[in-house]
Amino acid sequence: MIKLKIRRQDGENVWYDLFEVEDRPGMNLLEALFYVQEKLDGSLTFRYSCRGAVCGSCGMLINRVPRLACKTQVSDLRKEPTNEGNPEVLITNKKTETDNDEILIEPLPNLDVIRDLVVDMDPFYSLLESVRPWLEMKNDIPEKENIMDQETQVKLEQYTNCILCAICHGSCPVAERDRKYYGPAALAKAWRFDLDPRENEENRKERLEIVDSESGVWGCDTVYKCVAVCPKKVAPTLGINELRNRIDTNKKKEE
Amino acid sequence: MITHDVVVIGGGLSGLRCAIELHERGVDVAIVSKVPLIRSHSGAAQGGINASIGSDDSWESHAFDTVKGSDYLADQDTVEILCKEAPDRVLEMEHWGTNFSRKDDGTIAQRPFGGAGFPRTCYAGDRTGHNILHTLHERILRAGIKVYREWLVTRLVIEDDRCLGFVAMDLLNSELEVFKTKATVLATGGYGRIYQKSTNAIINKGFGISLAYRAGVPLQDMEFVQFHPTTLWGTNILITEGARGEGGYLYNKDHERFMKDYASSSMELAPRDIVARSIQQEIDEGRAFPGGYVHLDITHLGKDLIEERLGGIRQICIDFAGIDPVEEPIPVQPGQHYSMGGISSNKDGATPASGLYAVGECACISVHGANRLGGNSLLDTVVFGRRAGVHAADYVTSLGETSDDPLTQALDSEKTAISEMMGNDGESYSSISEELKRTMQENVGVFREKKELEKAVEDVKKLEARARSLKVRTEAREFNLELLNAIELKGMLDLAHVIALGALVREESRGAHYRTDFLERDDKNWLKHTLAYLTPEGPRLEYKDVNITIFQPQRRTY
Repeated sequence: MIKLKIRRQDGENVWYDLFEVEDRPGMNLLEALFYVQEKLDGSLTFRYSCRGAVCGSCGMLINRVPRLACKTQVSDLRKEPTNEGNPEVLITNKKTETDNDEILIEPLPNLDVIRDLVVDMDPFYSLLESVRPWLEMKNDIPEKENIMDQETQVKLEQYTNCILCAICHGSCPVAERDRKYYGPAALAKAWRFDLDPRENEENRKERLEIVDSESGVWGCDTVYKCVAVCPKKVAPTLGINELRNRIDTNKKKEE
Repeated sequence: MITHDVVVIGGGLSGLRCAIELHERGVDVAIVSKVPLIRSHSGAAQGGINASIGSDDSWESHAFDTVKGSDYLADQDTVEILCKEAPDRVLEMEHWGTNFSRKDDGTIAQRPFGGAGFPRTCYAGDRTGHNILHTLHERILRAGIKVYREWLVTRLVIEDDRCLGFVAMDLLNSELEVFKTKATVLATGGYGRIYQKSTNAIINKGFGISLAYRAGVPLQDMEFVQFHPTTLWGTNILITEGARGEGGYLYNKDHERFMKDYASSSMELAPRDIVARSIQQEIDEGRAFPGGYVHLDITHLGKDLIEERLGGIRQICIDFAGIDPVEEPIPVQPGQHYSMGGISSNKDGATPASGLYAVGECACISVHGANRLGGNSLLDTVVFGRRAGVHAADYVTSLGETSDDPLTQALDSEKTAISEMMGNDGESYSSISEELKRTMQENVGVFREKKELEKAVEDVKKLEARARSLKVRTEAREFNLELLNAIELKGMLDLAHVIALGALVREESRGAHYRTDFLERDDKNWLKHTLAYLTPEGPRLEYKDVNITIFQPQRRTY
């Protein structure tokens, strides 16, 4: 048996419920949540889709660390403290020698709660849109594919792997204090398009102007929390640093 | 009442591609999706997308492989379209920003896939679906297309064979609203979750397919259910065919490459139906590992190649099975993966009801026949998603005004139906859904026979009766999962009934439909499509001819 201590919220009401779940080898936390929802309390709500760490739906705060529920094994959580009472959003958890039979589950931080573990993702998606996250293409589109060397493809891949789960956003101290800050996911996306040799120069320039701001790359504290928590190893801060360099280099050229 | 010229229901690849086409043609289009766009199951597709862009390849060769793979049940006119339009659609995705893997010369890389005579599967590592889904999503953002995010469509309104719109529920507050449209496109995906073991996302319950069925539109070839040969033992997460395409081997517990006994020429790269049956037979005859799995071994490919081309499944194995495939073989077993059948629709995605289109996995066009080849489903989504957009854009320009009465009546009756579902003293969805999954898994699986199929039909009927007294106890308005699941359960039962009955009646073995009591393909009696219509007594089955143009049915060996 494992106990799930879940932060519940319905309107202004906030409380914690403790549920006992019959765990089994290989069970992940999303399955444990379904156990609760289907067998113990049908009113519990949370987001989900793929259960294979590719869709990015089930980001939440697990023992105070933002993670995907589906990718987190219950057996691993048994070897962790819950960090209950710690106000910080952690990026990793300690390992304990002894079994811990409780898991603390709370909604993803820095976004408003709609109910229980479901948060309002609208601000996150709007911030993403602010950086023009699409390719405009050059005017001379080739008849066949654009030729791209493998090295560039691999560089791009680190950023195209982003699943927009908002776990980075939930860990980000800047997002916590500044709701206008585009955030690690949007800025990583901005770098992904800046890096793409297929991108139209004008759109690249426009995007750089957008992120050349306090809401953009200059707002980042460069504490690398987003890099630590990313379930897809995207490394937003590295992208932010690259964008800063790109902006500085362009300015020097203009001077 | 919300009004748009066209609404696309579903935010996966086919829906997004369709919406983009409509927008580019100046149509007022919106998307309704029960999950945020990038959460759709398309994103889980791994291996790739087929297109004959190689210099020695041809659309004819692609078409032949597809038709042979389909066990000659695919319609050859639509297969021709699929294969001819493939290069344009793939190149378009590249132009829009998809980060395809590259060859040394910088062109798009292609890998061998099951049942294909040429390495024609273009890929982005083993995250091809994810890459294309995000590219299309970016395109949607660029176009500024209106998205109704997290809305569940609960009923289509079809009057005199014409679709007038639909009723949908905003999951944010459980409010029902009616949408008035000139055309509606269903792009709602498959139903994998009516089985216990499926690669599909948890959201894949086939509800969009049942919406059409309940509105009187026939479902086609539903008995053809694809079981993917290699799903991760324990969770049944997909392990891409690309693992075998890149050179992976299948071994039983005696370390025999058992595929030599089933497909001596193609071995691990035989089509999915054949490999799935081979693995299942090894399991059933005691040559698999305890717990029912075989080994998929890619250790000999080396860490560099695995990281470069199969990095996604490596991570999946580490995260979900605690196994690193660089070091040790992957435990795999067959699991439900894809629906060849679906809403009957034509080469433009048009269904028999005017103004109603169906594309992607929820549709049966039919390009996959009795067995789909790997790499052809992503292709199907973008080819026919676009074509439905072209056709619908043209269709909506010629329409006059219609009465709103059927729409407001549908809204009222849907409100009543849902309020009647609320209560404390009836069946709960979870026990019915568990039993449904069990009977489908046990009785309508890789190997089928009369007695089991009869049992499945009887079981489903009993569950349908129980579902009539289904009650939802949760009253919360915001994201009421119990209500959502209860609504969708009735659709799952509809589909299970059609699948089991179609499989029971079809007394032959063809593609993924394999009857141990009728081992041979029977072209004389069964070279035909199944059509299922809803009646108060359950599904009524009819049949229609297969379109055969170039390739005459031959014996299918690999």
